[in-house]
Order: sequence, then C-alpha cells, then structure tokens
Amino acid sequence: MTLKSGTTSACAACKYQRRKCIPECLLAPYFPADQTKVFQNAHKLFGVSNIVKILKSLDPSQHAEAMRSIKYQANVRDKFPVYGCLGVIRQLYYQIQLLEEEFHSVLSQLEMYRQHHHEVPSQLELGMAPPTNGLHFLTAVSDMPVSMQHSYSNSNNIGYCSSYVDSKDHNNNKNNSNSNSSNNNNNNNNNSSWIQHPFLATNNSSSSNSNENNPLMAIQSQLLVSNTQPLVIQHEVVQDYDELHPFFDTIDDRQFFIHSKEPYDSSCEDSAKETTQAIELVPNNELKNAAACFSLTSVH
Amino acid sequence: MSSSSYSSSPCAACKFLRRKCMPDCIFAPYFPPEEPQKFANVHKIFGASNVSKLLNEVPPFQREDAVNSLAYEAEARLKDPVYGCVGAISVLQRQVITLQRELDATNANLFRYAYNEMPPLRPPQPPPPSAAGQSSGFCYPYQWNDPSDEDNERSSGGN
Repeated sequence: MTLKSGTTSACAACKYQRRKCIPECLLAPYFPADQTKVFQNAHKLFGVSNIVKILKSLDPSQHAEAMRSIKYQANVRDKFPVYGCLGVIRQLYYQIQLLEEEFHSVLSQLEMYRQHHHEVPSQLELGMAPPTNGLHFLTAVSDMPVSMQHSYSNSNNIGYCSSYVDSKDHNNNKNNSNSNSSNNNNNNNNNSSWIQHPFLATNNSSSSNSNENNPLMAIQSQLLVSNTQPLVIQHEVVQDYDELHPFFDTIDDRQFFIHSKEPYDSSCEDSAKETTQAIELVPNNELKNAAACFSLTSVH
Repeated sequence: MSSSSYSSSPCAACKFLRRKCMPDCIFAPYFPPEEPQKFANVHKIFGASNVSKLLNEVPPFQREDAVNSLAYEAEARLKDPVYGCVGAISVLQRQVITLQRELDATNANLFRYAYNEMPPLRPPQPPPPSAAGQSSGFCYPYQWNDPSDEDNERSSGGN
C-alpha cells in the first residue's frame, strides 16, 4: 500500500482490499480511511464490485445520494441482520397506524366538545337550566382506553427502530441506542410477533415519556372520577353521535395518505380547514333534536 | 441441469448459477424454482456469496424472513438505484412527523375544550425544511446521520 505524495492515505475500500488507492477511485470520497466499520458493513451486504456497478450505472451527480443510502442500508442490516430496512419500514407503518387511530379518537372527542359548545348557548336561549354536571357529555369520552394515552406518549419515540426480534440483538445485546428494545426483545423469541414489539417496547418506556402528557392524563382521570351520574340524556346524545360517526369517518379518511408512496405534502392547515368545514355542515335539526330530548328528560 | 436420483428440481439459485443443487443447498428452501426472478434480483444487488454468508449467520428459523427482506431490498434498489428502499423510509418518516404534529395540535384543542375555553386555535405552521446535513431533503429516521461519529464511537468504545 503506497501513499500518493505522502499526504493522502488509501481509502477504507482500498485499504481493505490491499491495493493502491488511485485518484480516480470511485469509493474513496465515500469511505475515508477512518470509516472502516462503515465500509465493512457495506462490503458485507453489497460487495465492492456491486457497489461500483451501482455507481457506474448512475449519473455522477447522483453518486453521493446513492452512497448515502447504500451506507445507511448496510448499517441497518448490520444492526438488524434479519429484517434490515424492511423492519424499519414495517415499524414506521405501525407507528402511522397507531397515530391514525389516536388521531381518530381525539377528533371524535373534539367533535363532542364542539357539539356541547354549540348546545349550551342554545339551551340557555331557550330558558333551560344549564347542566349541573358540565362533564356529563364526556361519558363516551371517558370510555377512551387509557392505552391510547400511552400510545400518544410513546409516539415521541418515532424514528427509532427500537425493537426487533433479531438474533444479533438477542445474542449480543450490543445496541447502545436501543437498550430499551433489547431488554424487551429478550423476552420474545417468536418470529411472527415482532410487529407487537414496537408497541411493547415503547409501552414500557411510556412511564418516562408520560410526563409530557400529564395535563391530558389528569383530564382523563378527572373524567373517570366525576362520571358518577349517568343521566338519561347521555344515551340520547350518544345516539346522535353514533349517527354522525360514519360522516366523520369519511372526513378522517380524506386526511391521510397511508397508501400513497408520494411525499406527504399536504399541510396541516389544509387538513384542519377541511375538517372544520365538514363539521360545520352538520344539520342544525340534529342539535335541536338533542335539545328537545334534554328538555323532555329534565322535566321529571 | 438434469436432476439427480433425488428427483427434485434444482432451486432457483442453482439454476441461475448453473450448478448442481445439493441436498444441503442453503438457498433451496428459500428460492424455489418457481420464483427465478427473486434470486436473480438478490444476486444482482447483493451477490450469491454475500447472501450465503448472511444466511449462515442467521438462525435457521429466521432465514426465511432474512431472505424475504433481502428480496424486498433488492427489488427496491433495482427500481430506484439511487435510494432503494431508503426512499420509502424517508417518506414514511415524514408522514409520522406530520401526523405527530397534527395529533399534538388536536390534543391541544381538546385540552382547551375540556375546560370550555376559547375555540380551537389555528393549527401550527408546516415544519421548516429539513435540518442541515440533508441536502436532498431525505430524512433518515434511524439514529445514524453521521457515519463518522458513529464509527468513532464504536472504535473508542471498543468492539
């Protein structure tokens, strides 16, 4: 191995292959001499010849990005020899699913609040007594599983391929950044249950992240405690909400593009506006029906 | 190639490589002869020897998953030679971030309504472009943005 003019050393690729690193070496810009592990990962997965083949099939302007993705893919494969990047993709899909479910749940709760927000002024106008328990309409809300809060708090762990049933994780326990997952994975060797692991792993770490959502957790606990007077009105109101659910389902479906592989470009503002406009289209007669039911049941 | 007295057709790998498919062929269980393209893709991107070494390092009960993931990655790389399957990761990561922001905003509105406060505020502005170091705008979700840092950490920590 010789040095060129004594100033540059051979790249990691040429060092590994014990050959002279020429100035035109394709891999030299991407595998400096101090990144031996990165090169070893890439060489183990792709092989030098295959990497060079890929680069030669591309325009020189694309080499940097291609090498970046190759190194990333190889590094992920080194950490997760079984699933590699496919495992990361599946975990992201799972996170998206969890977030969507949680979002649907929160939207439905928000709609209930908005209905109540509109109902109270109309009841006051009709000369009716305001509800003694301002939280009565939250009966349905209190049924929201607390696990959803856990999943919300856990969604802060996005971007971590933190849990895979993987032989390397199971045997070596060498993950410095995924210590939570390795502790959880040791208890699970089922090959088909890996999808459950991200939730289990993040669920165990929820205690550390739940502090960020204490206000919402406090609200939830208050709802559970204060729900001691199941009024008849609740059933009537719930029925109205049930009738509205299919409508809201269509709203929610339009907001997400889980099946699309195109960049997710829709803005939060547009989706929020769309939701607001759709909710405003709720017919007013349903509000009046709810008010009428309330008046009939409160007379007794 | 004619089959031996075992009366079993060679696997897709041995067919492709034009060699005799032995009974202990490591590829045979995962590359059936009915799916020649699967091995062709994997061989083109990763190479048969690399795949063989990878499979030997993996427990037998996980080899099928390993092969399927390699086949997926190979096909993705053939369709997109620049980004491969990492492109899908970037898109999904953006979706997660956007969904998380929307969820945060909606939860904030819900909190306000819970105490019968003002109507919901406007949702937050879209996030600024990606952080420095990602000239292409791609988001690499895994904790690995700077290979040199990770490589230095590993070498200093001792393998």
